[in-house]
Amino acid sequence: MHLELAGLTRRFGTNPPAVDTLSLSLPRGALLALLGPSGCGKTTTLRMIAGLERADAGRVVVGGQDVTPLPPEARNMGVVFQSYALFPHMTAAGNVGFGLETRRLSRADRNARIAEALALVGLTDYAARKPRALSGGQQQRVALARALAIRPELLLLDEPLSALDAQMRDGVREEIRALQQRLGTTAVFVTHDQAEALAMADLVAVMNRGRLEQCGTPEDLFERPATRFVAGFVGRSSRFAATVEAPGVLRAGGLALPAAAAPAGGAVEAYIRPHHVAIGPDGAIPARIATRTYEGATALLALETPLGPLLAEVPATAAWRPGDTTTATLEPGALRVFAA
Amino acid sequence: MIGWLLCLPSFLVIGLGFLWPAAILLRMSLNRTDDIGAMQPDLTIATYARLLDDDMMPGLAGDTILLAAGCAAMAVTLAFPVALAIRAAPPRWRGPLALAAVAPLLVSGTARVIGWIAILGDSGMVNGALTLVGLPPQRLINNWTGVRIGLVESLMPYAVLVLIAGLGRLDARLEEAAATLGAGRLRTFLRVTLPLSAPALAAAFALTVVLGASAFVTPRLMGGGRVFVVATEIYDLALQTVDWPAAAALAVMLLLALGAAFALRGLLPRGRA
Repeated sequence: MHLELAGLTRRFGTNPPAVDTLSLSLPRGALLALLGPSGCGKTTTLRMIAGLERADAGRVVVGGQDVTPLPPEARNMGVVFQSYALFPHMTAAGNVGFGLETRRLSRADRNARIAEALALVGLTDYAARKPRALSGGQQQRVALARALAIRPELLLLDEPLSALDAQMRDGVREEIRALQQRLGTTAVFVTHDQAEALAMADLVAVMNRGRLEQCGTPEDLFERPATRFVAGFVGRSSRFAATVEAPGVLRAGGLALPAAAAPAGGAVEAYIRPHHVAIGPDGAIPARIATRTYEGATALLALETPLGPLLAEVPATAAWRPGDTTTATLEPGALRVFAA
Repeated sequence: MIGWLLCLPSFLVIGLGFLWPAAILLRMSLNRTDDIGAMQPDLTIATYARLLDDDMMPGLAGDTILLAAGCAAMAVTLAFPVALAIRAAPPRWRGPLALAAVAPLLVSGTARVIGWIAILGDSGMVNGALTLVGLPPQRLINNWTGVRIGLVESLMPYAVLVLIAGLGRLDARLEEAAATLGAGRLRTFLRVTLPLSAPALAAAFALTVVLGASAFVTPRLMGGGRVFVVATEIYDLALQTVDWPAAAALAVMLLLALGAAFALRGLLPRGRA
């Protein structure tokens, strides 16, 4: 494991901890997304990894070395700040070269590294420009080049795409991912955008109120959410209250539903994804279509059922319209059930 | 339209409190002092010519500029770490700390000078302490040293105020970025904080130079009559020599010189940021 966080904790004042005994590990060359709503502690976690925030408890171990007591300047981590934090009085090349000044490099070596880093992000022709003469996307690339030029142990990105236009985001996302994979740099990025996290990351750590809810591959989180929070936060899903009637059988809204994963006993909360809700004449759950949202290839139907409101995803070509009555079937293996 | 209307009160104050007296001053400076020292209404620049011709003037102007520039530089240098510390303080401490830094402004300048006399006088606190440890007492007041100490102290709050305002726009993330790139505190300060503070430092210097060049109370009271600068000379000309045209002409020249200095600053590039 290249990066290990062990029991990392940070308190601000007397509030509940901003980050609460967070532990996770990341193999070399992997990209980890810290995902969560604002205020969940993901940025504080990133800042503790970088050494910009002190850890009240726990350790940050990089490549087997405990870096927790080290100041940021001794950690060799490339950080891309949300606002980029480019030095406004230096050119793009000056920014990229700043991190090389403290390293014992000859002028020629340093210039070669600057040129290499700028070429990596496709900004060779902009080396002499000051940040204010660059577009937002270009500034972002300079920040990335600056962080990569020091050949960091870890690349840390704080909401790297949030300041970009929506149209630019996908492109930059692909670029960052391709670059990170090509260089084999272990990286951590913070985002509140789950689409971004699921698309880019090898591993996603979902955080909520300072705690790690689940860390796993995008597929793990989407298909096998470990907690109610993850089930509700990642992807779209419908939620209904139920009771476990027998192993593998849920009772909800007066109906018995087969559910592969139902734990034994008591009141539970069940989650189902819209694409696991099938609409047709031979289902067991009576449903009335309340609204239909056209989404291009698919349409999202809001159903009124005895279980409560359910979302169903159907091909956009399907003829269902608001007001139609039909029945719905929930894919038993796709039902996620959590103790209420 | 409404905007202009709302500005009217301040225009009135500036007009009545500054422009009108300045106009009287200008008019006065064009009068003439006759051989027996009486003022004669006139429209002549003879008084200016007389002042510029005076052998005392180059020294007086030079002393004033050196005093103002030196004390301004010292005040800004001392205020810079104070402003940086206030900026780095937790947000809820910033207000009280800034207030403490400018608290001297809440005390009358004369009272502060008298305080300095108690501290720096021949039998004041400093000399008392020096004598106690067996060192010879120093003359710290009624000379240039006293004036410099007093002036630096009186300029510092203004320098702190201007620097706090100027540094507020300096993004703390830049210093964090420098740290993550391997720069220690000194390098971060020299390569990032200092260059980006240059506009604020220049603004603080400009303001304190102007205040220092026109300072009267401190040179007068802490100089003990042995320190002569333009402001004290204007006072002497007006109230002791009773040569009003000369006092007025000197005041006009000081005003023009400071105005020119400010205009020159406007032409300079505004820092590197």
